[in-house]
Amino acid sequence: MAKIKFIIGILAIISGILAIFFVLRNENALVIHPKGVIAHNELNLMITNLLLMLIVIVPTFILLLVIAWKYRAKNPKAEYDPEHSYGFFGELILWLIPSVIVAVMAVITWNATHALDPYKPLQSEVKPLSIQVVALDWKWLFIYPEHGIATVNFVQFPERTPIHFALSADGSPMNSFWIPQLSGQIYSMTGMITPLHIMADGPGEYMGRAAEINGEGYADMTFVATSAAQSDFDDWVAHVKQSPLQLTDRAYNELVKSSKNNPIALYSYVEKDLFNKIVMKYMHPSTP
Amino acid sequence: MENFISGKLTLDALPHVWYTIGATVFFAIMIMTIATILTKTKRWGWLWHEWLTSTDPKKIGTMYVIFAVLMFFRGMVDAGMIWLQQSLAADSQSYLTAEHFQEIFTSHGDIMVFFVTMGFFFGFMNWIIPLQIGARDLAYPFLNSLGLWLTVAGGILINFFFMIGGHFANTGWLAIAPLSELEFNPGAGVDYLIWSLQLSGLGSLLAAINFIVTIIKKRAPGMTLMKMPLFVWTSLCGMVLIISAFPVLTATTFLLWFDRFFNMHIFTTGFGGNQMMYFNLIWMWGHPEVYILVLPAFGMYSEIVSTFSQKKISGYVSMVCAAIVITLLSYLVWLHHFFTMGAGADVNSFFGIVTMLIAIPSGVQVFNWILTMFKGKLIFASPMYWTIGFIIIFMLGGMTGVFMASPPADFQVHNSLFLIAHFHTMIIGVALFGVFAGLTYWFPKIVGFTLNERLGKRAFWLWLIGFFVSFTPLYLLGFMGATRRLDHYASSTGWQPLYITATVGFVIIVCGIITQIVQIIVSIKEKDQHLDITGDPWNGRTLEWSTSSPPPFYNFAMIPTITSREPFWDMKKQDHQPQKQYEDIELPKCTGMGIYISGFAFVVGFALVWHILWLAALGLAGLIACIIILSFNEDTEYMLSAAQVAQIETSSAQKSLNC
Repeated sequence: MAKIKFIIGILAIISGILAIFFVLRNENALVIHPKGVIAHNELNLMITNLLLMLIVIVPTFILLLVIAWKYRAKNPKAEYDPEHSYGFFGELILWLIPSVIVAVMAVITWNATHALDPYKPLQSEVKPLSIQVVALDWKWLFIYPEHGIATVNFVQFPERTPIHFALSADGSPMNSFWIPQLSGQIYSMTGMITPLHIMADGPGEYMGRAAEINGEGYADMTFVATSAAQSDFDDWVAHVKQSPLQLTDRAYNELVKSSKNNPIALYSYVEKDLFNKIVMKYMHPSTP
Repeated sequence: MENFISGKLTLDALPHVWYTIGATVFFAIMIMTIATILTKTKRWGWLWHEWLTSTDPKKIGTMYVIFAVLMFFRGMVDAGMIWLQQSLAADSQSYLTAEHFQEIFTSHGDIMVFFVTMGFFFGFMNWIIPLQIGARDLAYPFLNSLGLWLTVAGGILINFFFMIGGHFANTGWLAIAPLSELEFNPGAGVDYLIWSLQLSGLGSLLAAINFIVTIIKKRAPGMTLMKMPLFVWTSLCGMVLIISAFPVLTATTFLLWFDRFFNMHIFTTGFGGNQMMYFNLIWMWGHPEVYILVLPAFGMYSEIVSTFSQKKISGYVSMVCAAIVITLLSYLVWLHHFFTMGAGADVNSFFGIVTMLIAIPSGVQVFNWILTMFKGKLIFASPMYWTIGFIIIFMLGGMTGVFMASPPADFQVHNSLFLIAHFHTMIIGVALFGVFAGLTYWFPKIVGFTLNERLGKRAFWLWLIGFFVSFTPLYLLGFMGATRRLDHYASSTGWQPLYITATVGFVIIVCGIITQIVQIIVSIKEKDQHLDITGDPWNGRTLEWSTSSPPPFYNFAMIPTITSREPFWDMKKQDHQPQKQYEDIELPKCTGMGIYISGFAFVVGFALVWHILWLAALGLAGLIACIIILSFNEDTEYMLSAAQVAQIETSSAQKSLNC
């Protein structure tokens, strides 16, 4: 009976591991299938750290099972030494083993954190594109200052071009901006600008979403991020320029009001300097 | 203009939707049933004198544990509702509105952390610490009772919104500003959260002061700091964390309340408020809090491993150092909860690396637990099952923790279900498994008979399997871009099968809980066969096992003199029979003041939730009056004469003489 249970247990563990493997292999596992240079490097860092930790974890795990089995009270052959101890140097080694691994990981962390700093512009021969992002209750507004256009819940940019997102919010509680396949998330906050630099490897459509709870419409605060060839991007900009919608001050004041599950909207015109006005609104005292 | 008489309270606040009416009716039935039973069996006086007003740490501990169990059921209902919603919510709203769903996960978090986990550990510390250090009671018996009842008052207040108000906070368990500000949350839900945390936080703080003084001042002669059992050591570390971290929580929630009550702008989006400051402050408390939850468990596992390996703990000094290093480091890592807030690379790297440093003392602990088993004689009783399950889960949780400590990696998993899986791994696998291990280990000491082993082991397997089936999918969902706290999602994300798997895991865990309930019922039925006559059912090593089970209300007739780290083990080895020379024992009288003061504190909290200022003033006046009356009462102790002790010891009658 015990043997059957053991075999069932082993089979369950193996099928569990297989299931995990297939779930992660699927394209739906966004973090495991990066499509941008930052997300690629972040994944590589995760794998490096994981392997480093497994160097200690796997032997410890095996040791635990072997010792727990061997020194069971029912095993008459096992040695029993109730006063057994390792002394000062034995203990010292126990402290040193994890210290070495952590020291290696600390160096990697320091370097990776600086290399993958969201503030750091990406190196490329292509001229970077700036996009301003405003988190509103409960939708994302994207402003293209160079083109004078704006979009809601949709952002398009050219492939293999460094994109510089400047993130802020307007009156909405704390938000987090996340496109898992292109880079990790960063908070967008009212009255503040946080930068995020990304670059997509090729054309594609990616899921983006708000990752910090911000009220009732939180679950629907998603957007589509599209990277396209430069020419397709230019066509798209021309297409947006034809849109009848214009983001004037009045239209913006309507947009800023809370609304859920907003459809994608394209604006052919944006009030000049809108992003700075949004940020600066909270910078100086105003009358209540 | 707010109404002076009723504040913000209107008739709308009365229950009028299915879950508030349901909960209100349920609570009413529960209270009436209990009241009827008490009246029928004429036990009101017994309840009041023997239990509610007791200052005996063992009884206070039992009340903490019962309270934590009740709150655990409440928190599990929340957990089930969360998972049911998420399993059904692909492309639809499922059965809960967004707002209701958000209220549920908020209360789930607050209840499980503040009332369940902390409640259990305060209960165990009350049970065991005086016994382990050879003390008859805590340093401040009244304060202990007050701490319990303030925690209970907080626990009642957090459930009170069912009866009056109908809404809880929808902000996440930390009431993250500015979402918790008046601008986004004008209702009373956040105020309920604030005031229940204020009350229970005060209770925890008082309890922590009490335990620190007890451990420092009331140890038996000869028990130097380095001869204390490891559970006492890790509890001491946890209590030091409480007294330094909980004032931060109190201050932060007060500042939030100032924003909400006086219309201040400390954490608001506009008018000079700084939302980032709230994150900093709440996590300066929040990270030490995590270690407050796990440190006592580490100590329990050390005791259990050593007892069931029939071998002294490996590397005692290392274990003490590890606990102290974890305590100190836990103050220096709070920023890892918001690497994504835009701090520079230098700041992020610093906090990332300090976080990784915690892996070193944690690793040393794991090695020492394993090495304690090395050359031991392992008895696989159910506490040992929980412990080995814990070590496996702890390695997994530690690994995912260090994984997230690297800021660029954290950017990808922050706020995702990967994070949720990580901290549930720690809180279930470390803290809750510790609770179950400790409960089976110390149950015979406190109650007098051992629990049914067969059912205990079955419960363990259900919990372990249920845990992996529930939380492995959550790790994977994190990699699939699923953020936490989603009330619905698109089915094209491919998340639904994993959410459903997690719910299946929850059902397995519920089966585990049912097994545990059955275990306790069966054990009570069979208790005559499992009576613990010797007081030492596990061949224990520390002082608590030298007393009878359950111990007399004065714990020790004679305070032992300690010469080693494992006093009872050595006593057994030397076959040492102490001379029976009894002395007069001074014991604390029971007092209802803890209940009165907490009652008034509850009134203050409730009144301020609804802005009923006259009621708050009344409550505060009552509270202060109680404290003044208390300060004039010098008759707080009574003497048990040596003759009485001798009589009780020889007749082994367990009668409580106080009141």
